[in-house]
Amino acid sequence: MDIIKLLIRPLASLRGRAAVLLISAEAAAALVLWEVFGENGLIPGPVRIMKAVLRIITSAEFVDNFFSSLGLMLSGVGLSIAMALLVSYLSLVPVFTPLARFVMKCRYLTLTGLVFLFTLLTHDGHQLKLTLLVFGIVPFFVTSLLSMIAAIPDQEYDLCKTLRMGSWQTLFEVVIRGRLDQVLDVIRQNFAIAWMMITMVEGISMSEGGLGTLLIKSNKYIDLSTVFAILVIIFGIGVLFDLLLKHLRHWLFPYTTLTIRK
Amino acid sequence: MIYSKHEVLVDVSGVNLTYDKPVLRDINFRIQNIVRPDISQGQVISLIGRSGVGKTQLFRILAGLNTPDSGTVKVGVEQQPVEPGKVGVVAQNYILFNHRTIEDNLRLAMQHTDEPLTRKAKDELVAEYAERFDLVDHLKCYPMQLSGGQRQRVSIIQQVVTGNRFILLDEPFSGLDALMVDRVLDLLTKISTLHEWNTLFIVSHDVENALAISDTAFILAREKDKEGATITETLDLIEMGLAWNPGIREDTRFQHLVSQIRHKI
Repeated sequence: MDIIKLLIRPLASLRGRAAVLLISAEAAAALVLWEVFGENGLIPGPVRIMKAVLRIITSAEFVDNFFSSLGLMLSGVGLSIAMALLVSYLSLVPVFTPLARFVMKCRYLTLTGLVFLFTLLTHDGHQLKLTLLVFGIVPFFVTSLLSMIAAIPDQEYDLCKTLRMGSWQTLFEVVIRGRLDQVLDVIRQNFAIAWMMITMVEGISMSEGGLGTLLIKSNKYIDLSTVFAILVIIFGIGVLFDLLLKHLRHWLFPYTTLTIRK
Repeated sequence: MIYSKHEVLVDVSGVNLTYDKPVLRDINFRIQNIVRPDISQGQVISLIGRSGVGKTQLFRILAGLNTPDSGTVKVGVEQQPVEPGKVGVVAQNYILFNHRTIEDNLRLAMQHTDEPLTRKAKDELVAEYAERFDLVDHLKCYPMQLSGGQRQRVSIIQQVVTGNRFILLDEPFSGLDALMVDRVLDLLTKISTLHEWNTLFIVSHDVENALAISDTAFILAREKDKEGATITETLDLIEMGLAWNPGIREDTRFQHLVSQIRHKI
């Protein structure tokens, strides 16, 4: 009885085994309902989708397509974070502030209108996809990084002044080194955007294949089991990377797992 | 009590600050080196005022972090105009670099000392302060692993190792229980007696604890019908026989003074 009261009480927190049980039970219930009531609907049931997942991941073409997407995504995210960090750190130097603000606003630009321009500017499909990916995600990275920088308390800058640090050392100590752990968190948050955009840019240039290409082809033939199976794979890989980045942050920056003692 | 007052260490003259209305008005005071036989007697000064009166603004001006509309602040034996880095600042929430260990926090503070220190000298200084202020076991810890009192200790020592003799402390007794307050009072006494010129300037609204450790206290308040806070009273606690006495809080004269000041602010 107490556990039921706890489950419906606002602000109550569930931890450990109870939380795992709750999530498992809700997921199982959703899958059962989906299987039972969705049998004759448009969306294929979980069993059919899982069969399609097994078929796709054991097929020869999956590995090529998976690594094509993964390679593109990692190089895109790597390049984007390097550019975004440079723009964000330089935003604290007044002459570069307008540039950083402009890049941040570029998230309202749509990629579709720029595909033609980028096609002219790049040499092959890979470059085109990479450019579109970088152009698409840099503004989101910059937005998160500028917001992280804005949240730094003035007292930290004051501390540097009282310790006689110059402005470049202050920038390094407080903004760069002092916030490296948060940069990893920003990467983690924006990784989802990059992963989501992969399928879009792979649809624009299909020459190298990739999960996005597989998805578009299956959509074309209204092969919904395969479409949903690819979505499940994309979702699973995204969640896996999210977990990896979370643990990487705690491993690289052990102080992020500490809480303030009173 | 044998003592004498010598050279001026801090000189605040004609400081005024106005935002949309006057905040500080005509602030003037001097802090002189107090000399006592057989002891490196530093100076402990309190600036007492109620919340919102302008203490923090004056604190930032004394630290060189804000510039007043008019007036000057000179520090040190050479009486140089204040600028950031010439005055140690211990913020109320004990800001430290959370991504560095305690040892690294202290080392970082020694990067820009007046006379460059060798690596060996830095090691010795860190070891000496860690030993003296009970931090040996915490040198490899991150600030988040320390209690509030320990962080405060590190924060104060971080400012001491820069070589600054004039150290400002913002509300050092805030949020501490009675036992912790006694420890902070001990710590501040120790710091003040490390060097003849060490001068601790405590900004606080905690009348009792601020007076208990000070040799001089300034009352910052607004005068009737006048805008902006100013120093309305200076208490020479040495002359009153109420300074340098660890058990002073039990003294009825001290208790009476505390009560008087509380009414005034």
